[in-house]
Amino acid sequence: MSVTEVPTAVPTTRDVFVTTLREETTTWLFVVKSLLAFYITGWLAMRLDLPQPSTAMLTTIIVANRQTGMVLAKSFYRAIGTVVGALAGFLIVAMFPQQRVLFLTALSLWIGACAGGATLYRNFKSYAFVLAGYTAAIVALPAINNPLEVFHSVVWRLSEVLLGIGVSAAVSDVVFPSRIRDDLRRLCRAQFANFIDFVQRAMCGKVARADLENAHLRFVRDAVAVEDLRSSVIFEDPEARARSGHMLLLNQRFMATSTTLQTLHHLINRLKRKGHEAAANALIELYRPLAGALDAPIEAGAAARVLLPRLDGARDAIRERRAALRARMTSAYDMLDFDTGATLVDRFVDELYAYVETASQLQAPRLFGAVAERVRFERGNDYLGSALAMLRTSLVMGALSVFWIISAWPSGASAMLLATVFAGLFAAAPNPTQWVLHTSLGFVLGTCASFICQFFVLPLMDGFGLLVAASAPFLMIGMAMMAWPITAREGVGYCMGFTLTLVVHNEMNYDVVFFWNDTLAQFIGLGVTGLAFMLIPPAVGSLWLRRRQLEQLRRQVRLAATAPLPGLRARFESVNHDLFGQIVAQTERGSQASRNLVAWTLSINEVGRTLIELRNDMAGRPLPEDMHEAIERTIESIAQLYEHPDAATYAHARDAVAATTAMIGGDDAMWPLLNHLNVLRLAMLDEQSVLAAYMQAPTRAQGVAHAA
Amino acid sequence: MPREIAIGGVLVPGLLVWFVLAVVLLLLFDWVVGRYGLYRYVWHPALLRLAFLICVFGGLALLTF
Repeated sequence: MSVTEVPTAVPTTRDVFVTTLREETTTWLFVVKSLLAFYITGWLAMRLDLPQPSTAMLTTIIVANRQTGMVLAKSFYRAIGTVVGALAGFLIVAMFPQQRVLFLTALSLWIGACAGGATLYRNFKSYAFVLAGYTAAIVALPAINNPLEVFHSVVWRLSEVLLGIGVSAAVSDVVFPSRIRDDLRRLCRAQFANFIDFVQRAMCGKVARADLENAHLRFVRDAVAVEDLRSSVIFEDPEARARSGHMLLLNQRFMATSTTLQTLHHLINRLKRKGHEAAANALIELYRPLAGALDAPIEAGAAARVLLPRLDGARDAIRERRAALRARMTSAYDMLDFDTGATLVDRFVDELYAYVETASQLQAPRLFGAVAERVRFERGNDYLGSALAMLRTSLVMGALSVFWIISAWPSGASAMLLATVFAGLFAAAPNPTQWVLHTSLGFVLGTCASFICQFFVLPLMDGFGLLVAASAPFLMIGMAMMAWPITAREGVGYCMGFTLTLVVHNEMNYDVVFFWNDTLAQFIGLGVTGLAFMLIPPAVGSLWLRRRQLEQLRRQVRLAATAPLPGLRARFESVNHDLFGQIVAQTERGSQASRNLVAWTLSINEVGRTLIELRNDMAGRPLPEDMHEAIERTIESIAQLYEHPDAATYAHARDAVAATTAMIGGDDAMWPLLNHLNVLRLAMLDEQSVLAAYMQAPTRAQGVAHAA
Repeated sequence: MPREIAIGGVLVPGLLVWFVLAVVLLLLFDWVVGRYGLYRYVWHPALLRLAFLICVFGGLALLTF
């Protein structure tokens, strides 16, 4: 924000050394913790005589993460996914024990459906779907020649995975835990401080449109990031769990407040551009007390609580100023514009107060009372995109099944297994082709390491201690790779490849031919997955999906216009933010597409929110039949404009708003409705908004004349 | 307490029942302590939880077998 010259100090060699060591500590702590979980699991699995200790060990690698909360969240969803998947696999085998075509079809469809479901979520919930998919394959495929064995396969698989999960969770929680709670707290504090600071600056002087758009981008990112972290942190910390409802509420209020702030600012900017300086300046004068109230140093601790009485004072000051400022308005139009702005200021102050209040409750050491309002953070999902993921995964499985049946390939099960795992794991990744490529590279490296370890080192060793000593150096390479961000994907592939092909058993079995047959099959499975991702490109991140998401975003206005009112505000804001966050993550920063998108979002936020407020106010009062009808028609025309934006719908919506405003204008009792309509009218006539593209030159002149 | 019990015709270890019970007790304990912010008086909450689980599970198992 502020540009200050930082004197560049030259660090001493010792400083460099110490900071490097400190950075490396976390890496090696991660390696040690992962190794600890890996070998404890291995030891327990062998002690309990589980048939495939390597599955349990693989689980610890898959859930490994630097942060405890992430491990716990991933473990939780992995457990759910495994249980569901194991039951599904069991059912599929029970239904078609002797029908390989039906069996493989059912399996492919199930895995495809799960991969499609995975793309609907952006946190670890998607992981539960992936697991449900490939666990079914894992329990069903080995039993294909001997269907009666499937029950044991299910039980063993469940025990192995749950063992791995339990040990990983305990180790990462007990041994030097690194909490995301602290990250979340920092993020929330930063969000709060940034926002208050921004509001304060906005209230002091003029904030340019570009600034406002940038700020909005940041607010959206923050809101989505907080929600993502919150969904993981509740697994880690019981206190955070108890505060989860408050945190949701805080985020919701944050979104509402930032939308109102935007609307207010657009209003003032528009008035200024149209030459209505009197009303604009009066409004700026009106909210000036807020700037003083928020001008408090925000530090850790009781910061939010300090602001509350000051906000109260500002609210009173605003109320006092209002009448005097209103008296200065000369024309009826100015009066109307001023009233509209004053209503927005009131709403903004109320929302800001509620936001700060929730923040101060969260910062208090103990929570008092239950959450006043239950809210949910809803997500905007694209079902066509997930259908595409389902199609791709099912096709991969189908193709491999056909190949397996025709060639009667003994290692077909291995190839299918790995293809399932990878197709599922990367279906939701933003750039899956890259992911598969990197992870496959790591997988090949891991397999080579496993070959060396298994046939040159392990035969010389005896007992568990020596097994650890022999395999730990190889594994450490992979885990260190996982810990470095650049090589993280290769590291995961390496560790998976190493563990899968090492096949640790109580009685080790050294069979080079089997090793290479199996490994070859796994490579083929990997290759097919990679190919499928290239042939049926993922929907996530494509231009097509972006366009669809933008359309969905525009349909949000329809939601605001027609959906039932209770809880609509929260629903509207959270879906907006989620959709916007998704699209923003996929567009290049500062590009034309990105600017266009931000412009649309701002417009949708503003208009949608105003529609909701308008409908809220309408619901609470008796209206003459014709007025009610006129307003309904206006709302409908605006919803249509956003669904199919073109010159005709634009003209229709603009005329409807103007006609309704004129119709209601005479009635004093209708002023709240009139204010909302005025916001809509000004939004329609704003030639810097995204709707300007649909204005035609002559009508624009007419519009300005009308507004003047 | 029998070493194995049948649930729907499937034999499961009797210990599993106690384990599930211990986990339920742990969740209950965790919820109460978290709700009233009592973890502030504990040096290492995760270790406390693990210890609680082991004590309860061990105690139940030793009492009944």
